[in-house]
Amino acid sequence: MTQSMIINGKEHDIDVDGDMPLLWFLRDKLELTGTKFGCGSGLCGACTVHVNGQAMRSCITTVSSLTDKKITTIEGLSQHGDHPLQQAWLNNNVPQCGYCQAGQIMNAASLLAVNTAPTDQEVQTAMQGNICRCGTYQRIKKAISEAAGILSKEA
Amino acid sequence: MTISKVSRRVFLKGASIATGGLVIAVNFPANALAQKGIVEHTSVNLNAFIHLEENGDTVIYCGRCEMGQGISTALPSAVADEMEADWQRVTVKQGDADEKFGPQATGGSASIRVMYQPMREAGATAKAMLIAAAAKVWKTSPDNCFAQAHFIINKTNQQKLGYGELASIAANMPIPEIPTLKKKSDFNYIGKKLPRHDQGEVVVGKRIYGVDTKLPGLKYAAIIHCPVLGGSLKSLDKSEAIKMKGVSDIVEIPRFDIPFGSIGGVAVVADNSWTAQQAVKKLKIEWNLGENAIYNTKEYKQQLVANVEKPATLATERGDIDNAFKTAKYKMSATYTGGHLSHAPMEPNASVVWVQKDSCEVWASTQSPADIQKVLGQYLKRKPTDIIVHVAMAGGAFGRKFKCDYVHEAAVISEKTGVPIQLIWTREEDMRTGYYHSINAQHIEASVDDNGNVTGWLHRAAFPSITSLFNPSLKRATKQNLQDVTNHLFGIENFRAESGDAKAHTRIGWYRAVYAIFYGFAFGTFADELANKAGKDSFSFVNQLFDNNKNEEQQEQVQRAKKVLAVVAKKSAWHKRSKLPKGQAVGLAVHYSFQSYVAMAVHVEVNGDDIKVLNVDCAIDCGQLLNLDGATAQMEGAVVMGMSLALSTEVTFRDGAVINSNFHDYPVMRITDMPNVSVHITDSDESPTGLGEPGVAPFAPALSNAVFAASGKRYRDLPFKPLMV
Repeated sequence: MTQSMIINGKEHDIDVDGDMPLLWFLRDKLELTGTKFGCGSGLCGACTVHVNGQAMRSCITTVSSLTDKKITTIEGLSQHGDHPLQQAWLNNNVPQCGYCQAGQIMNAASLLAVNTAPTDQEVQTAMQGNICRCGTYQRIKKAISEAAGILSKEA
Repeated sequence: MTISKVSRRVFLKGASIATGGLVIAVNFPANALAQKGIVEHTSVNLNAFIHLEENGDTVIYCGRCEMGQGISTALPSAVADEMEADWQRVTVKQGDADEKFGPQATGGSASIRVMYQPMREAGATAKAMLIAAAAKVWKTSPDNCFAQAHFIINKTNQQKLGYGELASIAANMPIPEIPTLKKKSDFNYIGKKLPRHDQGEVVVGKRIYGVDTKLPGLKYAAIIHCPVLGGSLKSLDKSEAIKMKGVSDIVEIPRFDIPFGSIGGVAVVADNSWTAQQAVKKLKIEWNLGENAIYNTKEYKQQLVANVEKPATLATERGDIDNAFKTAKYKMSATYTGGHLSHAPMEPNASVVWVQKDSCEVWASTQSPADIQKVLGQYLKRKPTDIIVHVAMAGGAFGRKFKCDYVHEAAVISEKTGVPIQLIWTREEDMRTGYYHSINAQHIEASVDDNGNVTGWLHRAAFPSITSLFNPSLKRATKQNLQDVTNHLFGIENFRAESGDAKAHTRIGWYRAVYAIFYGFAFGTFADELANKAGKDSFSFVNQLFDNNKNEEQQEQVQRAKKVLAVVAKKSAWHKRSKLPKGQAVGLAVHYSFQSYVAMAVHVEVNGDDIKVLNVDCAIDCGQLLNLDGATAQMEGAVVMGMSLALSTEVTFRDGAVINSNFHDYPVMRITDMPNVSVHITDSDESPTGLGEPGVAPFAPALSNAVFAASGKRYRDLPFKPLMV
């Protein structure tokens, strides 16, 4: 029987080698290129997606481990690109090259989903696996705290 | 290239009807024609940079390459400003390789310096043509019309015509010889905080980078290179790799011995990148390593130090340094070193190339599309202009993507397989077989007179230079490589610069800020050491060094450098630094590079060997500012890159090969290390200069000075805390 997973609300058969990391299934098979390749070893966070709501490094997560799981990528984080984090990213002009930002946003979204009022220390601890070589960290911190402010008001 | 040459080249091309359309000689608006079905479509190119649709939607092309520095917002915004375009109606597109855009090679912090004026002229020219078109429609004088927010307005009767309505008429108006430019007080976008044009796409994952290019029939390649520069393939057993499901080809890529050609390797072609990467691991390869297998950076650096601590090859000299040394009250010397650096942009090298019998098309993250045309043209024996290069957004570059070896490799694979190829380097290949910032040593000796003035300065530098890429037999850095030492703004009457032997054993390449990294470090740190030895306040001491500069031609530069230094001293409360808690201190440094002035005050807390950067004040003078937010972002980023190279990043070679491989052993700064950065921008009417690089240089010396002030420990070697790999 064919195994499948749900990606951004849509069911997809896992019709590739089960050892293939989700990253390459997304990028090369489904041509969902918003999720980025940075290191291939779970060291930089550029490939971060959500698996059942939790941030995971898709470059080291095999597709065989994802049967019936719900995957969310940056393309599926919000319907209209208006997740509070996406808006805060725009308000603060966070991206420079922008390559790591999908991973940054997905990682931050996973944090805010369980903690709408993280301390600065909690933000840093949660985000330390995500590298930005352009050096946008100051704005990332500010944008997360801004989005957290909006989310905690909604909560 | 001078600005006027760029302008001429750009504007001689003139206007054209882009698609469809009659040549219209009418005295009423074009869109009315369209509505009546007389004209099907009338979008026009007013010049190489501006495309107007009949509904007024405007495309502005950016000819320079975007890699995160924000140039594709900055330059088009200057066009839009002069054109009186409404930014909301503007779409920015990246220009393909084409000389109509002027020089496209993007490096040396030169884009704004070189293209600011031509961009303004492109916008002003378009505005003049739109005004002429409206004047023609209204049968009035152009002087009776003005442009505002995508409309031309008739001063007499306040009638308005939209840019879209006027497009096709404007395209037939004469191109003004010298367009009139706006006054600074009238700027809408220049100098303002205009957001990046592409942010909306970034935050939803829709921005397309070089690595994201997809084509029908695309095949994916991965590559492994000879680990040592100059080596070659000895034997290859591909039996295991070729058996893998999804693998279609294995291609040997010989070394192509021209600048920016491949260093040689073996590539696997497969249905997807992951399979290709797995198959590369199954290749059994033996390499002839060649003569650079002797290269060990630990010993090499020691040799560089030895070479600068003894007389070396004279580069430049002025005054009588021997006499200055002889008559000195005291002399002081220090030696500074730095290691190789890997650019490590988040997007590894990537491109798609499709070589066909009569065409070659490239989609690449690149800083230099013309170099791709040159290298591929040479390899394929075709005219450079026959190589079509689509410039993709680069996910960081920092100098790495100026060099198109990875594109050349994709071309070789595509040529041999006959299909479009996407080659993505793994992080490991990127780190191990790249181009590297120069490993270096610098030795300074200075003489000080009875008044505490520096009277003589001997500066010896030894580093394999970028020139070695073009001249592999080069034995040491050239006089030209040392010109920023010779032209440093400190006023030293008796001066000598010497170049120590340093033959290259790997590929040396431009890395964000290039030589300013180590020149800034040596000058900025040694000045502080001299001040401390003299028992003087470092801020006053550095000002004295500037004041000693009596060279008439450098007076303006000296004043501008002093001014940014004064700004950070004030912002960081330098004069109240004695009130900081124990273990905390502020360090200052200022450096002029790429024609911009940057000073930093770094506030640290030191606890044993633990260095925590708390705050950084950064002051810049880049002449007329083009984009406030972009300039600020460049400085924030420069602090982070400065921190990485000051504290932790270094590429180490053993037996000719790089032993670092990924971010675990090349520890770049992370969010936990981020200090508060405040950027202070000098309001200036001087010609605008670039900011991609100048912010990197002052960080490391300011940090060294701060740590010394806090703890008494002096760091003279970059990085301060190398990871032992």
